[in-house]
Amino acid sequence: MKTWFHSWRAAVRIARRDAWRAKGRSALVLSMIALPILGVSAVDLTYRSSELSPAEKLERTIGTADASFQDTGFAGTPILQSPSGDSYRPAKDFDGAWPDGKGDVAAAIPAGATWITVTHGRAKLTTAHGLLQTEVRELKASDPIARGLSTLLEGRDPEKADEVTATSAFLEQSGLTVGSTVSARNFDRQYRIVGSYELPNALNEAEVTALPGAFLQDYAKAAEKSGALAPELYTTYLVKNGSGFTWNDVQKINQRGVMVVSRAVVLDPPADSEVPLYQIKGWGDYASSPAADAALLASLATVVGLAMLEICLLAGPAFAVGARRSRRQLGLVGANGGARSHIRAIVLSGGLVIGVAAAVIGTVLALALTLALQPFLEEYIGQRFGSFDIRPLELFGIAMLAVLTGLLAAVVPAVTASRQTVLASLTGRRGVRSTSKVLPLIGLGAFLLGAAVALYGSVVSDQVVLVAAGSALAELGVVAMTPALVGFFGRAGRWLPLSPRLALRDAVRNRGRTAPAVAAVLAAVAGTVAVTTYAASREAQQNAEYTASLPHGAVSFFQMEEGGRDVPAVAEAVQRYLPVDTRADVSRIVVGRSNCPSWGGGNGCGRYEVVVPQANQCPLWVTNPDGSDPADKFTPEQRRNLVLNDWRCSEGNSGSLYVDGGLLVGDAKLLKVLGITDPGAAKALDEGKAVALQRSLVDKNGTVAVKKITDAEAADKAAMENRPVPGEVSAVPSYLVPGKPTAYGLQILMTPATAKAAGLNTVPVGAYFSTDQMPGDEQRQKLDAEIAKIGAGIDLTVEEGYVPESGIVLLALTVFAGLVTIGAAGIATGLAQADAEADLKTLAAVGAPPRVRRTLSGFQCGVVAAMGVVLGTAAGLLPAVGLRLTEGRQQLRFYEQNLAEGWGTGTPPKVPIVIPWETLTGLLVLVPLGAALLAALVTRSKGAVARREAT
Amino acid sequence: MSTPLTPQPVLRLQNLTRVHGSGATEVHALRGIDLDVHPGELVAVMGPSGSGKSTLLTIAGGLDVPTSGRVIVEDTDITTAGRKELAALRRRSIGYVFQDYNLIPALTAAENVSLPRELDGVSARKARVESLAALEEMGLGHLADRFPDEMSGGQQQRVAIARALVGDRRLVLADEPTGALDSETGESVLALLRARCDAGAAGVLVTHEPRFAAWADRVVFLRDGAIVDQTVRSEADSLLTGRVADA
Repeated sequence: MKTWFHSWRAAVRIARRDAWRAKGRSALVLSMIALPILGVSAVDLTYRSSELSPAEKLERTIGTADASFQDTGFAGTPILQSPSGDSYRPAKDFDGAWPDGKGDVAAAIPAGATWITVTHGRAKLTTAHGLLQTEVRELKASDPIARGLSTLLEGRDPEKADEVTATSAFLEQSGLTVGSTVSARNFDRQYRIVGSYELPNALNEAEVTALPGAFLQDYAKAAEKSGALAPELYTTYLVKNGSGFTWNDVQKINQRGVMVVSRAVVLDPPADSEVPLYQIKGWGDYASSPAADAALLASLATVVGLAMLEICLLAGPAFAVGARRSRRQLGLVGANGGARSHIRAIVLSGGLVIGVAAAVIGTVLALALTLALQPFLEEYIGQRFGSFDIRPLELFGIAMLAVLTGLLAAVVPAVTASRQTVLASLTGRRGVRSTSKVLPLIGLGAFLLGAAVALYGSVVSDQVVLVAAGSALAELGVVAMTPALVGFFGRAGRWLPLSPRLALRDAVRNRGRTAPAVAAVLAAVAGTVAVTTYAASREAQQNAEYTASLPHGAVSFFQMEEGGRDVPAVAEAVQRYLPVDTRADVSRIVVGRSNCPSWGGGNGCGRYEVVVPQANQCPLWVTNPDGSDPADKFTPEQRRNLVLNDWRCSEGNSGSLYVDGGLLVGDAKLLKVLGITDPGAAKALDEGKAVALQRSLVDKNGTVAVKKITDAEAADKAAMENRPVPGEVSAVPSYLVPGKPTAYGLQILMTPATAKAAGLNTVPVGAYFSTDQMPGDEQRQKLDAEIAKIGAGIDLTVEEGYVPESGIVLLALTVFAGLVTIGAAGIATGLAQADAEADLKTLAAVGAPPRVRRTLSGFQCGVVAAMGVVLGTAAGLLPAVGLRLTEGRQQLRFYEQNLAEGWGTGTPPKVPIVIPWETLTGLLVLVPLGAALLAALVTRSKGAVARREAT
Repeated sequence: MSTPLTPQPVLRLQNLTRVHGSGATEVHALRGIDLDVHPGELVAVMGPSGSGKSTLLTIAGGLDVPTSGRVIVEDTDITTAGRKELAALRRRSIGYVFQDYNLIPALTAAENVSLPRELDGVSARKARVESLAALEEMGLGHLADRFPDEMSGGQQQRVAIARALVGDRRLVLADEPTGALDSETGESVLALLRARCDAGAAGVLVTHEPRFAAWADRVVFLRDGAIVDQTVRSEADSLLTGRVADA
């Protein structure tokens, strides 16, 4: 056997026993390496277990059937489909739209086959708390074909038309139990819940199952009758013919416009050349592109690499402490003939031993945890595992990362230890430890290059990737420069009192051990500062760009369907729960039946339109009869001019709230709630005029025009063909509110009398409220619960101003950086303490009080933390500021492009840069202070135990 | 103890000088030392603190390099040898025993003894057999599987001597091996060293205790880096008992 093997064996033996002797330090490093491995392995196990095999997937989608048949909605024309049924299209090419209409699936089922149907639709069901929008399934669940689609948990399957089962998720959300009765809004039938079940692929889905024909058809009719939207129903046929369906069978059935998912085909798919769909250009070649794969791989490798670098920087000093503490031992090995390679091997073996232990412990714990937490994990991802799927090769690969991390972390300490002369090791002489001069130079080069690239990216180009790459390079450069940078801090030492001066000098003189710890802090802090700065700037921008839906503190609600029948009840609830000041009821114009929904559609339902007079239309937006783009007539310069300077083009909808068609029927109280104080407006309402809030809607005679469209289909057709939309126009005298007030989406307001006089029918649609104080969370929750009881489809808006959402993530990041900082500084302090024993003895000998030991270690820890945090903050601001500058340039370019095309609103984008001072202060002041105090607290005041006598 | 001196010395120091520092801080640790140590011979080096005893020993073992002069260990001039060659020489030819902390705490006695052999690439099993034999031969077999912190100081030093002589090693360099021991234990350690030299090894013993120097065949006195006196055993005896005046 090779000789190196035997000498390594001896090295590993020493390292193993040493690791066992220094249990505290080993446990620290081990957990640092094992935790990420545990996490990644657990994710791998969960991912692989939740990934279903084709057979498992089929069981959950088609039960025990041989195939599922589904109408494609192309009116029965032949189709082409992929073997899995994921994609399909009509077999023929059509010039215009694809055919639309139902096909006959039952006719496509071969004679002699048995089948059941599964029909899905949505319904608003009554619950203990109110109404819940729920998926309803009609299925004879007791049929053997349906086995595997769902799992019965409690009770039994429905046997009568008035029985249903419900998923456990539905029972939880609705507050109902097995035995309760459930009904639906607008539907006079009662159903008894006789059992509960779960969908293995969608554990969190609220669903109710009834027998075929027992619920959906009748519910849809009832809903339509009451003015609510009828649900769309989807039916799938699960077919069993005993012999299965081949790819040829599938293609034959496709001729009838029916899409088939066949068990036999999915389990043994045909070659791509046998799939006609794939022969059509643009179909079938949608596999992820190699470029996207490469990008994903690159970003994954970067994340893994950076994580490993961070762990190495943290664990490295721990190995250095070990090597320093066992200096005499390494010297003895040298005296007994250990060459440098042997010393390196021993320290490296320390990394190997810890790495292997971390790999084993991490993997075993991941297996145990995933197995133990399987039910919770399944709930969390909302899906039952197919089988507990262990991929040994993947787990081994992940575990090898731990070994690699351990080895990499020990490389620098190993090289450093091996460079010590045997004599110096044996006598404990420290000598002068010089650091490499080359590395900081390379670092400086990398920093300058990276900064230049980032600067170029942010100032000259608008390539975000340049900024990111440049910043990453610059940061690595700073990490490499750390030893040199640490030297600069030493100059500050002259005017400090004894303990901090000693700590700073010590840190600076022993850069070899200070630098990695500082670099670890630097890397963690830089990341946090970059993210928080970027996020704070983003937040400032979002705050500036935020458009209020209503005046601050105001409340509104709308019920756009069912003829507004719940409006009075909801308005009362709002008044009961919120501190309402003024209430302004509003109605909308309805064309057709009074329970027609706001967006038209349905039998006998039309819509209305507020007409913009020809003269007031922006030339860039007019409709040309030939369908050409009106903007084509203008040069970019002219378009720009129009957008910026022509009032017809720059006047847009000022609010983000959807207000029916822009026209509401109400009284002067609405103006008050919206904060429109012009006295002329209220007077105009009294005089029977419409109040216009947009100049473009008022024609030269001072009237606004409302077009009633009774035939919605004809109108759609006309609009498609660029013809004027047919309809009856009512002109109403109007008053234009001067000074362009913010109207939050409202364009025209008229009183009910005015609307009636103009021949417009109205129905209640909702109400606006002003409040005398901002509604609190508790009040809102109570109101939400009350509204859920009253009805569904109610849009409630409470204007609370801009609410930032990213707080918790930023806080977590800051805490993480703080912990890393304290950890790294603590390790560096341990290292310093191992070195400083002799100094401390000397100090004690010259009469220093015992607390000097404490304060010294406190300052040593604080010094490392402070240096890392200062450098990291500087390094982190660079990419954040760079990214923001790039984004600013990018958005400005889009803005200019839009102007040239004649789009946009004429307001240039603002990309502010905001420094998160609170986070920075926390990192710069509190974290070093905390690290120092912690180190001082855990250090003994008394000297270390004297060397054991050798008797 | 009349050991016949063979013509071929195991250790040869020729005109050895060692200067630490330069200019104002220049210190002459050794000045022109000549010394031969033959197989079967135990040489004691005595002298006051700072006389260069330890420097002599570290240079003889290749842990330090002389400013001028030659050090020859079994036909190899170690002053011109490379780092790797030196390490190999320490594995195969030279054994060290220090004042204390000689053993690697993470290894058992047997493993400590077999360490140089294992580093040399000998299989763990063979190295163990050799080390057990060495320990047995020195009457230390019962300590084989104990860790250093389970042994007394004297036992540790005797194991260190066993390690210094495992394999083909014939040169023991001992730097105050009894310095941290009480006198009785110290005697037993020196008895072992003496016995190994009688069995054919060459030994250099640095000590400041005349009592222990009495175990040597020859005593060399150092002062300010130079040999000021040499006595053979019989003379040493009388010297130490004060019967002979200054040479």
